[in-house]
Amino acid sequence: MNWDCEQIEERLSDYLDGALPPKEAAQFKAHADGCARCTQLVASVRGLVGALRAMEPEAAPLRLVPTILDKTIGPRTQPFGWRAWLGWTRILWQPRFAFGALTILITGAVLSQALGIEWHTPTVADLNPVHIYRSADQGIHRIYARGAKFFGDLRVVYEIESRLNPAPDQEPEQQKPAPAPPSGPGRTEGPSSGPNNLNRAETSTRYITRFACIVLTAPGRRMP
Amino acid sequence: MRLHTRRIFNLCYRFTSHRQEAEDLSQEVFLRVYRTLGSYRSTYGAFGTWVTSVTRNLLIDHYRRTRRDRLTDSMEDVMAKVEDKESSTRRPDHSAAVAELGGHLQKALAKLSPDLREAVILRDLEGLDYNEIQRVLEVPEGTVKSRINRGRIELARILDQMGVRPN
Repeated sequence: MNWDCEQIEERLSDYLDGALPPKEAAQFKAHADGCARCTQLVASVRGLVGALRAMEPEAAPLRLVPTILDKTIGPRTQPFGWRAWLGWTRILWQPRFAFGALTILITGAVLSQALGIEWHTPTVADLNPVHIYRSADQGIHRIYARGAKFFGDLRVVYEIESRLNPAPDQEPEQQKPAPAPPSGPGRTEGPSSGPNNLNRAETSTRYITRFACIVLTAPGRRMP
Repeated sequence: MRLHTRRIFNLCYRFTSHRQEAEDLSQEVFLRVYRTLGSYRSTYGAFGTWVTSVTRNLLIDHYRRTRRDRLTDSMEDVMAKVEDKESSTRRPDHSAAVAELGGHLQKALAKLSPDLREAVILRDLEGLDYNEIQRVLEVPEGTVKSRINRGRIELARILDQMGVRPN
């Protein structure tokens, strides 16, 4: 089917935007190439669209944004004098700044304690990296030695207690294997509230009590 | 905010062809947007499309309001044409030619009917797709396509009558 000039006008934008199916685009081109009026129309509209899309955007006046802000959220009051100079101090009154400063202070205190920096008698030598390294090394070794001694003491106390008061579940008459509970569907081998479990609970309580005594009588602590 | 301001100002300027009017209308657009912000729902489409829709409604209102004033300005337009012809002979360089073409296009746009003008501005100057234009103008897609097509052809004819042939 051959297209006429009216059809060319109707579908011109579709053709220029590339929205025509290939078959219709071919028919469009066939007519437009053979018709002087349509050739000129297509060329002029194509040039127009290109020129419109290449147009530089007009720069908005500089005062437009401030004027819009003034009319919408209201005029902004500019502080002057000493208020303008002290304006930055408002940040100090914000809670997040206070929390941040407190966190930094605590972190510094913890680090200085760990590194052995004595701030009550600060000297220049305290900031010497060699001194900081030695203090940290000594502190770590001291903590390790205390820990090792603590667990060694705990072991000795445990062994003495075990020899003096053997646990009830290790007594000869209770070392006999208990008869196995009947197994079957619906039964489990989980913990039960038998006498052995009660004895274990008492033993655990005794261990915890001993542990507390050792902690309380550790070097540097005084018994009440 | 600045991005929207520039876009809205351009839209107003392309529609009215007057910087001062475009500035006043841009302020009105943002005032209206600020007051009716609570009524915006995401179902209307993108925020930019909604702002464009508000702008378009305001431009149409403005066009209707100032129709009488424009009729009295027709004589001034004739005088401006004469001045433009004189000035065109004084600008030989390329950038001046581009600026001159932009001025001719703006004048040709101003002669287009508002329906066709807004369709061409939204499509070819603002780069909106058909769906967005359909949402802004609140007309069916077929009407949008038809207006853009007729607007382009009409604009090309106006430019031809002005003796301007963009390449």
